[in-house]
Amino acid sequence: MTGTCARLRGVTDDDDFSRRVFVQRLSFFGGGVVLLGAACKKEEAKVSPPPALTTSHRSFTNEAWLTLVAAVDRLLPRDEDAGGVDAGVPEYIDRMLTTGNLPHFERNFSGGLAALDRRAERMFQKRFHEATTEQQDELMAIFKDSPPTSGEARWYEMLLVLSLEGFLGDPSYGGNKGEVGWKLVGFNLVGRNVKGDPQAPYDGSKTLHHLHCGGGKGC
Amino acid sequence: MAKDAVDVCIVGSGAGGAPLALELGRAGFKVVVLEKGAWYRDGDFVHDEILNSRRNFFMPLPWDEPHLWRLGADQPYSRSNEAWTANCVGGGTVHMSGYFYRFKPIDFRQKTELGAPAGSNVVDWPITYQALAPYYDKAEAELGVSGNAVPHPFLEPRKGNYPLPPLVAHPIAGEIDRAAKGLGWHSIPTARGIISQPYRGRDACVYCTLCGSYGCEHGAKSGTNASLIPAAIATGNVELRPKCMATEITVDAKGLAKSVIYLDADGERQEQPARIIVSSCTAVESARLLLNSVSSRFPRGLANDNGLVGRNLLFSSFGQSRAVFDARKYDWLASPMPFVNRSVQDFYVMPDERFGFRKGGTLGFMWQHPNPIFAAVGLAGKGEKGIFGKALKDRLRAYRDSKVLEFEIYGEFLPTDGTYVGVDANVKDRFGLPVAAITVSRHPRDFAMTRFLVERGEEVLEQLGPDRVERVGVAGETTILQGGTCRFGKDPATSVLDADCRAHAVKNLYVVDGSFLPTSGGVPVTLTIAANSFRVADQLIARLKKGA
Repeated sequence: MTGTCARLRGVTDDDDFSRRVFVQRLSFFGGGVVLLGAACKKEEAKVSPPPALTTSHRSFTNEAWLTLVAAVDRLLPRDEDAGGVDAGVPEYIDRMLTTGNLPHFERNFSGGLAALDRRAERMFQKRFHEATTEQQDELMAIFKDSPPTSGEARWYEMLLVLSLEGFLGDPSYGGNKGEVGWKLVGFNLVGRNVKGDPQAPYDGSKTLHHLHCGGGKGC
Repeated sequence: MAKDAVDVCIVGSGAGGAPLALELGRAGFKVVVLEKGAWYRDGDFVHDEILNSRRNFFMPLPWDEPHLWRLGADQPYSRSNEAWTANCVGGGTVHMSGYFYRFKPIDFRQKTELGAPAGSNVVDWPITYQALAPYYDKAEAELGVSGNAVPHPFLEPRKGNYPLPPLVAHPIAGEIDRAAKGLGWHSIPTARGIISQPYRGRDACVYCTLCGSYGCEHGAKSGTNASLIPAAIATGNVELRPKCMATEITVDAKGLAKSVIYLDADGERQEQPARIIVSSCTAVESARLLLNSVSSRFPRGLANDNGLVGRNLLFSSFGQSRAVFDARKYDWLASPMPFVNRSVQDFYVMPDERFGFRKGGTLGFMWQHPNPIFAAVGLAGKGEKGIFGKALKDRLRAYRDSKVLEFEIYGEFLPTDGTYVGVDANVKDRFGLPVAAITVSRHPRDFAMTRFLVERGEEVLEQLGPDRVERVGVAGETTILQGGTCRFGKDPATSVLDADCRAHAVKNLYVVDGSFLPTSGGVPVTLTIAANSFRVADQLIARLKKGA
């Protein structure tokens, strides 16, 4: 029970319900967990309803998708090893936001992308994905270093956590393509289910969706 | 319409509920077990970190079924999933690591032996270690525990060795043995609720490495889902109903427990009457169920005449440090064996007050869990210390090339007036029920104790010659290990349950999860909850046979 369902002062955030923290850090039995929690600050302007999608992503407008791909590329750039975009992290985030499992994220994630674009326009008169990598890194750092309770910092953490899930999680969710994330950290899975067929089809996002809807009729 | 009455209705199927269900079924009594969560089968236990550790496979999501949490009554509550254990058949024993220690005789007599520190509510237990010892034997045999009892200053009296030989340990266990010996301490094998050999029709552990925080598809982990529940069902007398959320325990005109109201898997309201009603859904959730069971006879909640339901909530004092090794540094690091299985209990009780505490706890050594997402989120850091880009990838590569040994503390968590659980009528869960509201205000001795134990653990780590030792923290609590809230005792004025875990105020109501614990002990409580439930089963069966 290591690592665990334990709270540590000065390590774990003491999240304050009244401040509407949306990422709750919890450590959990057995190596722990950051469980994604509660609600984002709604200081970001709402994006207009998405136009008909022309690409495979479902949770974002095409504009937001370009911003997301560029942001993931700065968090986990390709170098001598594969990066987040190689691993399909944007696809993971897109799919995760359609499972119904993270309603607050669905409501708030696009708002953060729009805020990132607005900041890019203000500082560099360009959209985020059109900025140079140095400019993009500067913008990402501004969001990261914003006061911990700000919408910027919370959105950054949401992006970071989802990106690491998509980079290092089970490939059936759409990320970690070719297990490139696992290769980077040297994680050798012993099989999804030791007794089962390691090649058996498994779809984590479907399982998550069933957890959300109860798995009954009409699920 | 109410269901047909049964002899016993048990709410919860974990370490507390399952032993009672098994024993009652064997004795021929008709039992219904209501379990809030799903009944997972071997095929459901996939090694998917996102599913198991980061969503609601085991724990509810904070926006569906929050626990309110605050550090001190003057603080605002936060909404979290803190202090849930697991919602599934088998409860927390499904994803546990299975560190199966016994309490020590002194845990039952702490006030007499050491005194109650000022500001604490330490009391002696109404039973002795000797009364529980045969049931520890029974729990170890029924669940399946692997270990090797070796002499050390705090070895509890026991009749014999464990039912199963110890699991094969990583070579670092030998290094820890040497290091502890050099410091004048005792490195002892950690008993595990994991079977090292085929046992009672179950397959042995295959050393798959993904153990704690996952369910075991092999059935080798001795969760009640793999051991006691199948045996209980096999008696033909026990019916287990998964996805059934108990909402209230009703009482009759005489103030006896009459039935359990619950929402079934389809969300329909059902009523299960029973002669005996048992709550076993964790210390926090049992308190919540009783407090939400309000009637004209019990306006403050069931069995809560004295206002003590929910008081004296206990967790386990937590602290942790880790040793980071370059994976190529020593030949013995190369072994892939997942179990360290070493503990140090030399500081279970201190001889005097020199270090600001008397009652200590246990150091448990283990490899860092191989959960890469959790590790990466930690490595990325937060705020101005946070990193991204190439710096983050470099750190992930360094993680790949290292091995990390950790220890964690299971320390005494002193009961105080400041740590308790209530219900908050203003915050409701997805069932429309008031949620548990937890207030934690720690006794300062707990922190002095934890710091001392962490420092001793770091001495052991340093002896192993790592590249560095990192302190994770010295002031925390493991909320999955919980007790208190319905402490047992002889005096109805100062306890909720009697020595048999029957409510003083409701003679056919029992609570058999960790709620009965007056003190936390310095070890994880899981085995003790199971042993106590076997003990209660004997008392209850004798009473039922007398027709009482």
